[in-house]
Amino acid sequence: MSEERTRILGMLAEGKITATEAETLLDALASAAEAPVAGTPAPTSASDWPTGPSASGTPKFMYVKVTGKDQVDVKVPLALLRAGLKLTSLIPPQAMDQINESMGEAGMSIDFNNLKPEDIEEIITSLREMEVNVQASDGNNVRVFCA
Amino acid sequence: MTVILPPLVVDVRVKEAGTRGFRIWFPFVLLWPLLIVIVGFALIVALLVDAALCLSGARYHHYSLLLLKSLHLLAEVRGTHAHINSPDSLVDVDIY
Repeated sequence: MSEERTRILGMLAEGKITATEAETLLDALASAAEAPVAGTPAPTSASDWPTGPSASGTPKFMYVKVTGKDQVDVKVPLALLRAGLKLTSLIPPQAMDQINESMGEAGMSIDFNNLKPEDIEEIITSLREMEVNVQASDGNNVRVFCA
Repeated sequence: MTVILPPLVVDVRVKEAGTRGFRIWFPFVLLWPLLIVIVGFALIVALLVDAALCLSGARYHHYSLLLLKSLHLLAEVRGTHAHINSPDSLVDVDIY
């Protein structure tokens, strides 16, 4: 039995969580261990992650992999990017002006006011074709792709 | 209708060279009841503000929507995993 399952059952036994909450937690653990299904977490082991961009379909995650002296594996759901971009359209105009100004000062002249909801899906789909490969001088190799 | 489901479990493991390190395995689901109360209260306030802004003719009156979308953003954090293994430290962050 995994450590997480033991902890959940221990919390249930101690009365810290209800049976329903324990079931929800156990379901979350089980779904994390299974193959990715729409809306459920993908495997957590970096060795199970894709090694390159997917050839077809809408990408689900953005992967950042660093190999060399440092080992970095980061997986970010693209739904987070989608939700973030949609949120920008609801930011009050005064706040958005300040954000745009600050980003402009930092060298990123992106006007989020021009970002339309229909553009967001196109951006996400186009990310499938994106792949960044950086060979750093310190020997690290950085790869960023979506799959 | 989109179901907004905040993270269930947050698992953070940090270990630096020469130290024992630590692990935080936090069942975020335990905070859901508190989150529901806070968001519910904030939503009522935001709806009142939106109604007042709308009646006064302000162009922007979407604070309640902004609140819901922020909660949606929090929900979409689920599935984020980060594993950093450098010669000095080991960091693992998993959000389910």
